[in-house]
Amino acid sequence: MKRIVVPGELITDKRKKTGSHVFVREGKIYSEVIGLANDEGEYASVVPLEGSYIPMRNDLIVGVVSGEKFSGYDVGINTLYPTYLSKKEIRDRLKVGSILSAKIRDIDERREVDIENIRVLYDGEIITVSPVKVPRIIGREGSMLNVLKDGTGSSIIVGRNGWIWAKGGNIPLLIESINKIESEAHTANLTNKMEEFLSKKAGKKVNAPKAKEEKAPKMEDKNVDKKDEMIEDEKGDLIG
Amino acid sequence: MAKKNETKVLVDKKGKRIDGRGVNDIRPLKIEAGVIPNADGSASLEWGQNKVIVSVYGPKECLPKHTQNPYKAVIKCNYRMATFSVPDRKNPRPARREIEISKVSGEALEKAIFVERFPGTEIDIDIEIIDSNAGTRVAGLVAAAVALADAGIPMKDLVAGVGVGKADGHLLVDLNKDEEDADDAVDIPLAILPNSEELVLLQMDGLLTRKEWDKALKMGIEASKKVYEVQKEALKKKYENVKVKEVAK
Repeated sequence: MKRIVVPGELITDKRKKTGSHVFVREGKIYSEVIGLANDEGEYASVVPLEGSYIPMRNDLIVGVVSGEKFSGYDVGINTLYPTYLSKKEIRDRLKVGSILSAKIRDIDERREVDIENIRVLYDGEIITVSPVKVPRIIGREGSMLNVLKDGTGSSIIVGRNGWIWAKGGNIPLLIESINKIESEAHTANLTNKMEEFLSKKAGKKVNAPKAKEEKAPKMEDKNVDKKDEMIEDEKGDLIG
Repeated sequence: MAKKNETKVLVDKKGKRIDGRGVNDIRPLKIEAGVIPNADGSASLEWGQNKVIVSVYGPKECLPKHTQNPYKAVIKCNYRMATFSVPDRKNPRPARREIEISKVSGEALEKAIFVERFPGTEIDIDIEIIDSNAGTRVAGLVAAAVALADAGIPMKDLVAGVGVGKADGHLLVDLNKDEEDADDAVDIPLAILPNSEELVLLQMDGLLTRKEWDKALKMGIEASKKVYEVQKEALKKKYENVKVKEVAK
């Protein structure tokens, strides 16, 4: 059974491999954040319920240009420092406020990041969520994301940094849905709940295609799948 | 106002105090996490007559740059009393006492946080005392620990604490203002990391015998663990009843 733990709360006193957001003291495993503890499998780990974005290599992120220099741009990506993007790397001329998606190439010890695979996004808007809730917005193999796309008709790119780019379709409904996911992120069976919610609001049957959609960025899926295993089990009905 | 020679009976023959508590009881304590939407983490606390609001921002880039530490996050803790928090208006200028409490509170909280994970950053903690009746520094610390956990900052443990001391010849837990103002009063605010019982804050005002001190410390640690249970409950309660935010049309 998954349970909510606070920092310093005991997860297990058995010998286990340590997963994410835990630490060991005197042979026992403790949580270091507020989150949902999982000690059933081989690993003891915690899925956090609060926290800021900690960049990881190969994360797909959404950024906003925050400043222009002589030979490049400063791009805000919801981390401690804005990242730098050289003008050589892109053909488009950007302005302050331009939105782009990118992949994280490298991070240094101060958590300053390098980005690659830049794709400029025209129009659309950015919806911000808590970065720790991003796995739930994507869902297992992108299931939740497909429900959102089908229900609202928007094109969506979910950045790991908690910024979501959306364009077209029913944006107010999308914002409402994302707020609902965010506030119920720790409850069970959320994808089915959202299917019902969107069916009612959109006035049509929302049914997520089970196959991966190509628009869902691949490298992100890989990352998300791994993390999401901790949240939902096979049937997807465990609390997460 | 009691005259100088008039002595109050602070603990009666049955071991009851003025407000009906036993010597080992703390005042009614209520904590709520996540009260300020725009802060990264926040908490409000009511502990007897004490009222505290704490907000936490960060980790963020540490500015001005000369305050950065390349090895760990810098904790910038601000303890402030509102002008209306005491019977006579308090000058809003940060006083000697507030600067000192800010320093010791920040150092106590730093012991609980994995500061070495965030080099070159700062974590801002603002402790605002809205109403006070003795024991505000531990009240601030207790609320700050909850706010830090609410911000999702990695921590070894929460920080729980309580004031212990002596008044009217009795060792007491969680003194209120009447007890703190007794002629023979001793006041020891202390804070611990509840799991390891490591002391992170210990101050003392007055004199105790060695025997009394040993007993007071034991009482303080026991009471701190009661406080810790309330803190845990407050953090978990945030996720029990979830309401969906409606988007304005």
